[in-house]
Amino acid sequence: MQNMKIEETKYTPAIELDASGAITIVGKSYPENTFEFYAPVMKWVESYFESGAKKLAVNMEIVYFNSSSSKLFFDLFDLLEENNNPELIVNWIYDAENESAMEAGEDFKEDFEKLQFNLKAK
Amino acid sequence: MDIENKLVNEIAQLQHNFAETTNKLIKDIKRQNKILEQSDKRQRKEYDELLALKQEIEETQREVVFTMGAIGESRSKETGNHVKRVAEYSKLLALFYGLDEQEAEMLKQASPMHDIGKVAIPDAVLNKPARFTNEERVIMNTHAELGFQMLGTSKRPLLKMASIVAYEHHEKYDGTGYPRGIVGEDIHIYGRITALADVFDALGSDRVYKKAWEDEKIFTLFKEERGRHFDPRLIDIFFDNLDAFLSIRDRYRDVAGQH
Ligand SMILES: [Fe+2]
Repeated sequence: MQNMKIEETKYTPAIELDASGAITIVGKSYPENTFEFYAPVMKWVESYFESGAKKLAVNMEIVYFNSSSSKLFFDLFDLLEENNNPELIVNWIYDAENESAMEAGEDFKEDFEKLQFNLKAK
Repeated sequence: MDIENKLVNEIAQLQHNFAETTNKLIKDIKRQNKILEQSDKRQRKEYDELLALKQEIEETQREVVFTMGAIGESRSKETGNHVKRVAEYSKLLALFYGLDEQEAEMLKQASPMHDIGKVAIPDAVLNKPARFTNEERVIMNTHAELGFQMLGTSKRPLLKMASIVAYEHHEKYDGTGYPRGIVGEDIHIYGRITALADVFDALGSDRVYKKAWEDEKIFTLFKEERGRHFDPRLIDIFFDNLDAFLSIRDRYRDVAGQH
């Protein structure tokens, strides 16, 4: 497994995929083509689990995002839930003043009961 | 019997598959709805933030503009409500003249800045209690062009408008004004309107060096200056709607001793 890094742009978040077991996605998410943009990320996660790895910490700190990003995050959490294990955690990090980021996190947590899904206010 | 059982099993399997598929469909639809709901909520929130931001910008702009006008006035010891009255008169004239509400509102904000160029006039001249010498008069009159230069570099529509107002508020309809001596409708409507609003208020106010004129005296002058100092159309508008202008004056009357 290789590490992967995608630089932040005006419309897309900074993404780091660390083969030692960590994913960070920080920033806003308004890609022109959301599914194309996140395709390498989804692929990376799939092959990460295929390689037999278990331990994974997913840190997401998304300030603003569009509806297709929301759909994409559901897909990502689906993928995580399919490979759920005790060493897999998701941290949804948000600014205490950003109500909509918090509410989005609550919605995800509610939908993915099996995941260790933590809401963390900054 | 065997055949029957086989059929039952097949149907049971179909039933099971069907249930699985429909459950998945229901789950997907529910999720889609959730995403939509979530997005709608976020969009409304972002829209609220946008509006608040817009309001903040507008208020800041209003305050800056008003302060700039007040600076121009305070340097020449005008009374506190002069700025407000000139603003209101200008908007009213603009509306009656036929400018739309948005442009009239902008002029209301821009017209009080007409004397901003006075910040660059030396105190000794600006606040001289006696009559100006010719030389001092020339210096004084540069405030129009100075204001134009100060505001003219801005790309903001409001400040651009204010630069026109500053430049042309001492022009006269018959071409005897300054700084350029332009004539009639060559003088921008913003300049023509502010000229009338400013003079009307100046004549009707007490100043350190003079008492306020009686209304009748002002009206006589305005009639004489119709088509000379002032745009005849604006003078007609003024007299046709005199009550509206006087009620603005009453509303923003100066309190004695207030500066
Ligand atoms: Fe002036």
